[in-house]
Amino acid sequence: MVILKIAFRNIFRQKRRTLLTALTMFGGFTLAAISIGWSEGTYSYTIDMFTRNQMGHIQIHGKGYLDKPTLYNTIYNYRQIGENISHLENLEAWCPRLYSSGLASVSEKSAGVRIIGIDPVLENSATRFEKKIIEGKTFSNKTSHEVILGSGLMEILEAGIGDSVVVVSQAADGSIANDIYEITGIVESGDDFSDRSSFYLHIANAQELFVLDQRVHEIAIIAEELRDVEGLVRSIRSEIGSPDVSIQPWKEFAKQFYVAMQADKQGGWIMIFIIILIVAVGVLNTVLMTVLERIREYGVLRALGTRPAQIFRMILIETNFIAAGSILVGLIASTIINYLLSINGISIGESITYGGVQFTKMYSEVNAMSLYVPAITVVITTSLVSIFPAIKAARTSPSKAMRIH
Amino acid sequence: MIDKSYDIIKAEALEKTYEDNGVPVKALRGVDLEIKKGEFLSIVGPSGSGKTTLLNIISGLDDPSKGEVYLNNKLISSMSGRELSDFRRDNIGFIFQSHNLIPVLSVEENIEYIMLLQRVPKEERHKRVENILRDVGLEGFADRFPTQLSGGQQQRVAIARAMVSRPALILADEPTASLDSKTGSELLDIMRSLNEKRDMTFIFSTHDKLVMDKARRLIVLKDGQIESDEVKK
Repeated sequence: MVILKIAFRNIFRQKRRTLLTALTMFGGFTLAAISIGWSEGTYSYTIDMFTRNQMGHIQIHGKGYLDKPTLYNTIYNYRQIGENISHLENLEAWCPRLYSSGLASVSEKSAGVRIIGIDPVLENSATRFEKKIIEGKTFSNKTSHEVILGSGLMEILEAGIGDSVVVVSQAADGSIANDIYEITGIVESGDDFSDRSSFYLHIANAQELFVLDQRVHEIAIIAEELRDVEGLVRSIRSEIGSPDVSIQPWKEFAKQFYVAMQADKQGGWIMIFIIILIVAVGVLNTVLMTVLERIREYGVLRALGTRPAQIFRMILIETNFIAAGSILVGLIASTIINYLLSINGISIGESITYGGVQFTKMYSEVNAMSLYVPAITVVITTSLVSIFPAIKAARTSPSKAMRIH
Repeated sequence: MIDKSYDIIKAEALEKTYEDNGVPVKALRGVDLEIKKGEFLSIVGPSGSGKTTLLNIISGLDDPSKGEVYLNNKLISSMSGRELSDFRRDNIGFIFQSHNLIPVLSVEENIEYIMLLQRVPKEERHKRVENILRDVGLEGFADRFPTQLSGGQQQRVAIARAMVSRPALILADEPTASLDSKTGSELLDIMRSLNEKRDMTFIFSTHDKLVMDKARRLIVLKDGQIESDEVKK
């Protein structure tokens, strides 16, 4: 108890030095907390945009479809599946999709296209499809023979709203699939590559074109929150329980994107390492200075019968008291900063495209990780760099120390 | 062989050599010393004669270059750092030349520091601190901090701290150096009374004639050797 008392009171002996040490720790903590909050926020936002805008958080396919996508590997009872899962907790929306490819022509211009059959109402509730229409309108009804094209494809075909486009492909029954549609809208998803080939049809028109009545290739599902995905996958698996379909979270069906994000995330730890170094050098410097200044005092304590381990503890307790205070203040400051950045974000000037999604602003995030990782880092760094000065103090020879004036 | 059970300190053939800028300096040259329990003795001698070095070695604060020291029949060199700390805590009280109080502790806390390490119960600690503060004339000063005291008052606190845990041996390096003669004499009387009442052993290293006069045994050191060892009648 007396060791604790001395350690605590020692904090207030050299107020300026304590303040300097505390500022180093506070700065390190706050920088690390903001850095982690920012990095986690940016990644969560990117992943959320990427999955919500296009792919969905979870996808259901016929077994083996992702390994070998073919026109024939379909899900038959997709409406039943949709109805069965729509009541599940944390499920926000679902939508069916039918995929194929073909050749589209407007007048003399032709281009290879990716035909995507969608249910406009369900697709809009899942991926905000109507928000991506930059010109024209969405489908009026399922018998209207309308098509919505990607903006890049419109340029390739030199087409405009109201033009007719002919598409030729192969149907599931082996026949030639061909039809003529009126262009009613232009879509810009933010992914230029996709926009150069996107050919959206109403799902009923697509099923008719490919002779796939009541069949789809994919059911995309949106979870309420990114963190709900794994749990929702388990719920869907137990709800459907069919061996003929595979249910995968985004980390599996967009594995490359996930791996790229993880690799990118590792870069953030370099920042943390630099912060640790700054804290370590600052703390080592002041603690060492303090120990050298008080060496005579440690000699007296040793002479009075204080054990070396008690002096060692005294120094570690003193530095950790300062660390605790700094962390507490840093916790408040960084939470406020991260919260403000999570609400207002920071504009990044010219928009950037990542994973096919366009970003104009980035947002931070207030999460437990942005607080406990810097806290643990500061405590461990402080304790580690205090070990050397503490050993020095504990090993003080009383007779030598008391000769120092 | 001498029976060591009667000696609180027995030093045999002590030698201590320091390095001073690479030049070996002999501070002690073969000192043999036996101090019985309950003695009240002064080690005197000119500066550089080896008084402080001898005190440091017999209290385990410093190691001899050669020779052995037995404290309460225990060979100091055989003790680990922790054992030696505990031994000093429980058996030796120190009064240093320059007070050496702990600046962040109050007078009361400084005095009870060793008892706190010894885990003496709170009530007992307070009773002893109260009594010793009265003995050294510092009643009402318990809550003050060392910086709020004069040099003489600080030395009284240092004396109180050394005596309050009732060690078998008290080592005092120039204890009256910063005191006026009246205060010095009063404190020496207190120490002598404790020596008589509780059989505590006092060893002083001093230049002060007052201390020499009050001592019952006088050891004169010169050039690291005992020049004379006189027991007064």
